[in-house]
Order: sequence, then C-alpha cells, then structure tokens
Amino acid sequence: MNRRKFIKNTTYSGTGLFISNQLIPVSEQKPKGDESYDIMKEVKKYRKIDAHAHVYFTDESPGIQIDFADRLHIDKLMISRAMAPHSKGTPEEFKKCNDLVLKSMNQYPDRFIGMPVVNPVYAKESLEEIDRCLDLGMVGIGELYNHIKINDPLYYPIIEKYIDLKMIIHMHSAIGYSRVKLNSREPKNISLPEDFVDIAMRYPEAMFQFAHLGGGIDWEYACKTIQNCPNIYVDVSGSNNESKIIEFALEYLGEDRIFFGCDNSFYQGVGHMLSAKLTDKQRRKIFFDNYNNILKKSGNHVD
Amino acid sequence: MLIDSNAYIGHWPFRKFEDNNPEALLNRMNEFGTDLSVVSNLNGIFYKNTQNANEELQEVIRSKKAFKDKFIPFAVINPIYGGWREDFERCTTVLGMKGVRLYPKYHLYDITNPSCIELVKMCRDKGVPVAFSLRMVDKRTSSWMDIENEWALKDIIPIIRTVPDAKYIICNVANSSNLNDEDTSLLKQTSILIDSSGRNLTNWAELFSKYGADKFCFGSHSPILDYCTGLLRIESLRENEAKEITKDLLRSGNIIKMLNL
Repeated sequence: MNRRKFIKNTTYSGTGLFISNQLIPVSEQKPKGDESYDIMKEVKKYRKIDAHAHVYFTDESPGIQIDFADRLHIDKLMISRAMAPHSKGTPEEFKKCNDLVLKSMNQYPDRFIGMPVVNPVYAKESLEEIDRCLDLGMVGIGELYNHIKINDPLYYPIIEKYIDLKMIIHMHSAIGYSRVKLNSREPKNISLPEDFVDIAMRYPEAMFQFAHLGGGIDWEYACKTIQNCPNIYVDVSGSNNESKIIEFALEYLGEDRIFFGCDNSFYQGVGHMLSAKLTDKQRRKIFFDNYNNILKKSGNHVD
Repeated sequence: MLIDSNAYIGHWPFRKFEDNNPEALLNRMNEFGTDLSVVSNLNGIFYKNTQNANEELQEVIRSKKAFKDKFIPFAVINPIYGGWREDFERCTTVLGMKGVRLYPKYHLYDITNPSCIELVKMCRDKGVPVAFSLRMVDKRTSSWMDIENEWALKDIIPIIRTVPDAKYIICNVANSSNLNDEDTSLLKQTSILIDSSGRNLTNWAELFSKYGADKFCFGSHSPILDYCTGLLRIESLRENEAKEITKDLLRSGNIIKMLNL
C-alpha cells in the first residue's frame, strides 16, 4: 500500500484506546523486503530550502550549520542574524549582524542566501541598509525581531518597499499567550498572530512569513488566527516537534502557504516533515517549491 | 531490528492526538519499520488511581495478537497512592509488564520521596527498569492547566544516587544534559538508557565520548512528538560517528539487553 492510501485510511479516536474497525489490516500495511522504510533515503529524496536559518557570532558558525545541512541534505538556507530580543537595535547593531551574514554568504555562496535585518525606529538608516544588503546579494528581509511590532506604522515604508521588490518579510513570532498570560520572556513589542493579521489586511499585496510554528507558540491558535490571510505564510521550524503541527497548518492554511525550516533545530525540522501525513507532492512543495516560488517572484529562485 | 523505547497510547486532556490508539500506533510502527514498542497508557498520568490505566492497557494488548506481539507494556505507578505495592506486584507478575514509568511532577511527590525510593528498589529487585520523562510536553505550548516546570538531566540524579543499582530509562531529554564530573561518573556506572526523542540530543560524538554508546536507544515519544525525529538522530549518524554495529545498539541492542528480551 502506498503512503497516500495509508494516510487516507488512517483514523483516530479521542480517547486513544478506541480501536477503529475502518483500518486496513496490519498485515496489508507491513512493508515487505526492500520496500521497508529507509529514513535516509527519504531525506535524500527531497530538495530542500530551509526558509528559517541563522548564523551566529561563534567560532563554530557557520561551519556547524553547513555540517547539519550536509548531513540532512538541505540544499539552501535562508540565513540571517537576528538582533538580540532586548537590545536597542541600533543601526550599528543591525549592520554588524548583516555583515556577519554577508561574510557567511561569501564563505558558502552556493548554500546560503542572506536576509538583512533592520530596526524601523531608525527609518533612514534601515532603508539605506536594505539597499546595501540587497546590492550585495541578499534577498527578502528578516528574521525581524521584536523591537517594533510588525503592524506598527514605522514598518509601513519598509513593507511598501518590499511590495515593490516582490520579496517576503520574515517576522519572528511569539510564545505569546500560550498559557493565557503573555509569556514573561516576551518584550512588549512582540508581534502576535493578531498583529500579523492586521498588517496583512492593510497590505494584501505584501508577503509575510510567520516565523517558526514550532518555536514555542501555540501553533493551533496561530494557524486559526491567520487562516484567512492568504499573504501570510508560515515556516514550520523550531525545536518543538510536537506531532501534527504540519498537518494542522495544512488543514488551516493549505499546502501553498507552508515552508520547511529548521531555525537551527535541524533534526526536528527534517524529522517532523518526514513524519507528517503528507502526499509526496505536498512534501515536495513544503520542502522546496513553495519557498522557491516566493524567490521566483523577484527572480532569485533556485534552479 | 528497531525498538521504540518510548511510546504511548491513551488520551492527553489538553490536546487532540491522532496516533494515540493502539491501531494507529501499530500503523506508525509498520510505516516506519519499528518491530517493537515500549508502550504505556497516558491515562495513567491523569487517573488518580493509575492502576485503571494499566488494566486498560492490558485489555488492549490482549484484544489482538499483533498488539501482544508488538507492544512491550510498561506500568504507570503512583507510589504515594493507596495500594501501589499491590499494583506493582500485579503489573509485573500477572500483567507481564516489563517496566515502570514514574511521573513525580504530575503525581506531586519528590523524586526522593521514601515511597518512590521503595518502589525503585522493588523494581531493582525484580530486574525491571524505571522510566522517567524529563518532560511530557513543551511547557511553552502546554495548556494553562498543565504543569509548568520541566526537568533537566541533573534532576534525575538524586534517585540514581540513592538506588544506583537499579535500571533506568530517561526519556525526552529536552533540556540540559550537563552534569558535573561526579554525576557524570555516576551515570556512566549506572545501568541507564537515554532515548533519542529529546531535543537536547544533538552532538552524538560528544555524548558517546562522555557517556558511551551503550547509554542510548531509539525513542519516539509518540504520539506527543513526531515519529521520525528520534529515528533521524540515529540514522543520520555518519560512519565516523557510529558504525553499523553501534547503530544497531541504538536501534535495538541496548534496550534488548536492558529488558532481557
């Protein structure tokens, strides 16, 4: 039986102890001989663009990121160096972050595609920095952090610029109100799912990347909140590889709005993509095609 | 051979799962080539009387030959609840359960509670392992009604120090695995397995060097975590990090030895 048929026939129960009588008998599902599951064969089968990657100010980086990418056959990584969450986010700081990304791009030009970070509090410097970075080969913007909410008017000039550029805006998302109260580690300007909806509706022609569904946010809450905004995409990166994140995003957002990503949690990023109940076509789209289609809009796609 | 040392069926009160019934677990095992799974009933974490969950699990396993052939049941025992000694005896003798899972944080007792120590010693004397999970779910995304705190590896050390000759399985090492030299030495001398489901297991070369390859095994933490990440951590090891013989220990050899299968 192929995987699609297997998925179609898989049912579930609320109690976890109910045994469905609609399932295909186990004897029919058991792989035979050389059809048995080889996870590394599956890993190698799919081209991959990591839509949420980073480099770091450490001696090990970016070599360690490339090593993981090699191990798990990740072709391209969209890298940025986000500013620290509680920093002032001065031009000096974001330029330093972007310089690290540029240096890493030069080290691994075939693997890394850089994305600049800025702080719109410094409007003039941010727009100049975007020009500098794009001129040096970067694409898109982000992961923008939590110095300013994504729907703050300070972001409007940057968003309008990216509409013209036909490039995506990648914004960090919050643990937020997962346990009702705003998580104590979150700065007051953290962008919440509702803030993404607000800005996506104001600028329906812009493209937003809602960062790391597996990054600690209540992913069911997030998907339900942003479901009606077709210009909000999600990456499924993060260290939280709870089952069903990808299937839930698929149900609420559709197969075109989901990007594969790791956010430096490489095993989880690839692992939950292979575990998810997807068709082969859906897996290819999420691993590679969806993000490449975004890159294609600005002529920066991967061949 | 592949053995999952960390799987569940049963209900989680704060989230809907899809693969938490025995048929679905068996399907996942078949899909990904798992021959056997250590299985407990999640209901045992939430029932006040955990023995009801053990009886439910036994009933499920007896309902179908494939479950009996493929599932290795572990009991959930609460050593501060009435009748736990009898529960332990029935689970390990009559119900054929091969190990015990303890949930001190959910059942509100300290890991060195005298009853917990007594239970671990009883496990030791029967030759069955005791399993602890550093966390069941990610506290960031967990329900506002769930517990908030998670353990690091060092939080398990007090019971190991108290009963060093018991057998232990540590699941879902999601937080720091850093131990001081004394505790590292203790861990190395203990009969212990750490399953591969935890997010903190990244640098295997360092882990093998520090603790030895005989201290690890495959675990999925299914249905809470995705099924494949724990397996990927093992199968993506390079030849210079783990030869096939070492991978076989991680896939099944180490857990077979611990459970005397």
